[in-house]
Amino acid sequence: MQRTLHLSHPPEQGHPSDVLPLIEDILNEMAEADDWPVTLTMRANLILEELVLNTLTHGDTSGLTEIDLELESENHALTIRLSDDGSAFNPLTDAPVPDVSLPLADRPIGGLGVYLVKTMGEELEYRRENDRNHLKLVVHPE
Amino acid sequence: MEFSHDRSGDTLVVTASGRVDGSNASDFLESLQGMFDPGDQRIILDLGGLEYISSAGLRVLLMAAQNLDRQSKSFSICSLTEAVGDVFRISGFDQIINVFPSVEAAKQG
Repeated sequence: MQRTLHLSHPPEQGHPSDVLPLIEDILNEMAEADDWPVTLTMRANLILEELVLNTLTHGDTSGLTEIDLELESENHALTIRLSDDGSAFNPLTDAPVPDVSLPLADRPIGGLGVYLVKTMGEELEYRRENDRNHLKLVVHPE
Repeated sequence: MEFSHDRSGDTLVVTASGRVDGSNASDFLESLQGMFDPGDQRIILDLGGLEYISSAGLRVLLMAAQNLDRQSKSFSICSLTEAVGDVFRISGFDQIINVFPSVEAAKQG
């Protein structure tokens, strides 16, 4: 099953997080149609929330007008393709990575989102092409 | 998200259900902190009804755990669903926060 989602910036709805129900709806639909394990739905949702909110709210968003999302589900694997026309940003290398082996008192509060994307996502690829960021990754249930 | 809490002696059991994401994580933190009393020595968070948690929600749990740890209070989480448990494992939270299969197990732990 394939689905696409086009998001404009600034968000038509008002607040960046208003895009979250749109993502949730599409994933629930795909999960039902392709009988996803619950962990795949969770991982896909978490990854998309992180990447989309990062693009909408972090760094220089002055040139950003749109984010395009393509989702393709086959055999309990979800391929995600995200592209946006914002300033160059590679979340795989440009975001700080937390040390998740640190004890409770020393664990930093931030940076966890990108860490989860990189850990839950496979075949991660980033490229900057035609003044757009392109990110591709594949998500499995485990 | 929906919350309820049940206090028995110095033990507070907070039940949170629904979804916690970037839109409501700050409400989650406020609600959680609003339930703590100075007399609570042991806080158990029952997440059995939690359908979804993103990194924004994990940050709240980390802040709460660190805050309670600094006050030398006991904090544990219980009844994780399979999907939330998966996120806990990958984020390493199961290594820094006590996780139990049920409220009863958390009370005994």
